[in-house]
Amino acid sequence: MVEPFAGIAANPYSWPFDGRWSADDSALLILGFQNGMVAALDAEPELAVAARLVSAAQAAGLPVIASRRGRAETLSPVAARRAATGADVGDPIFPPRTPEWQLAEALGLPSDAPVFDHAGDNAFYSTGLETWLRQRAIRNLVLAGLPTEGLLHATQRAANDMGFECIAISDACKGTTEERHTGQLRVTAFGNGLFGTVARSDQIIAALNAS
Amino acid sequence: MTTFWPCTTPEKPGKAALVVIDMQVDFCAPGGWVDQLGEDVSNTRSVIPAVAEALTIARDAGLAVYHTREGHKPDLSDLPANKQWRTRVHGLGIGDEGASGRILVRGEPGFEIVPEVAALPGETVIDKPGKSSFHATDFDDRLKAAGITHLIVIGVTSDCCVQSTFRDGFERGYECVILEDCTAAVETPNHQATMEILKAFGGRWGTVSDLAGFRAAVEALHG
Repeated sequence: MVEPFAGIAANPYSWPFDGRWSADDSALLILGFQNGMVAALDAEPELAVAARLVSAAQAAGLPVIASRRGRAETLSPVAARRAATGADVGDPIFPPRTPEWQLAEALGLPSDAPVFDHAGDNAFYSTGLETWLRQRAIRNLVLAGLPTEGLLHATQRAANDMGFECIAISDACKGTTEERHTGQLRVTAFGNGLFGTVARSDQIIAALNAS
Repeated sequence: MTTFWPCTTPEKPGKAALVVIDMQVDFCAPGGWVDQLGEDVSNTRSVIPAVAEALTIARDAGLAVYHTREGHKPDLSDLPANKQWRTRVHGLGIGDEGASGRILVRGEPGFEIVPEVAALPGETVIDKPGKSSFHATDFDDRLKAAGITHLIVIGVTSDCCVQSTFRDGFERGYECVILEDCTAAVETPNHQATMEILKAFGGRWGTVSDLAGFRAAVEALHG
């Protein structure tokens, strides 16, 4: 018998909407915490929070999933344009198998954590992520990611359209500016949760630890 | 016109499509859903003349025109439980009876596009259950079948379905442009934050232009 976790006093409503979440139907999604991105955004504090989430999720029996963005081998013209702007683009995309592309070791990911590779912002697009989640009857997603207005939002937005009940952990996300981080999360919570909900990590960690 | 198209110019006008997002009674008319929620529809209404102007430009130039409508099947089989719950708690749920028929349900008066910018015969209307026009629709297949390479995305709301379609279009390899004066959000701060995010770094997912830029780019295509 899997014990349910306590609801989270999220913005704009108590998450999840029907109060149902447990290690059986929920997962932690860690998006784009790669060495190069952490460095580009100076996101060491957010990485530390993400690592605490990973640890708490593991202890509570919650599946931990990571996503890693890398340049596709064949770039579309539009993606090539983006790649050509390189460092100026704020959230650069690194070639696969470079040190910058590797997931940050400080995350402390379990060795058997599934990793989904994607070329764009959305970790669901052209990956097996949705199938992986559906096969396990996962309906609630706890999300952390870099940058907030990039991978995090695009993935939460796609998950929301698919009907997953989402919560973004604000202190485990960082934007290319503070304004973009705040603005994107404001849009997320608008209209009683247009794209889901937002909360800080302490609440989620407390709920996981109490299990 | 290098500043209008993100990367390349369409080979011919028919390779570019104007995509008009969700200009429905429920989002931008008195008596529609947003209005019944007690929110202000003046922002979404305010872009109707500009959207109509963009439609005229596109139609005169021979661009393909696509319209989208957000809504659900009458039996609500495509409505996620959390989406229904959130809208109910907000005041009036999707599928519930309102002043313009059942909220965001296909076939209801509120689901229709406002008459000022209605689809003409021959234009494609994509009915979508989500925010992104690419989610659970045949939009991508239709664009590819028609040989479309460039999308000009306008309509409502900028912070929700417009930016979702714009960014998902980029991800699928389309060159995307938003016309800033042809899109709006219910709340101005959300519109401003969205535009700033989309414009950052010269446009990470495409470009942000306006009606004047669109007119000039279309004239150049015919030049």
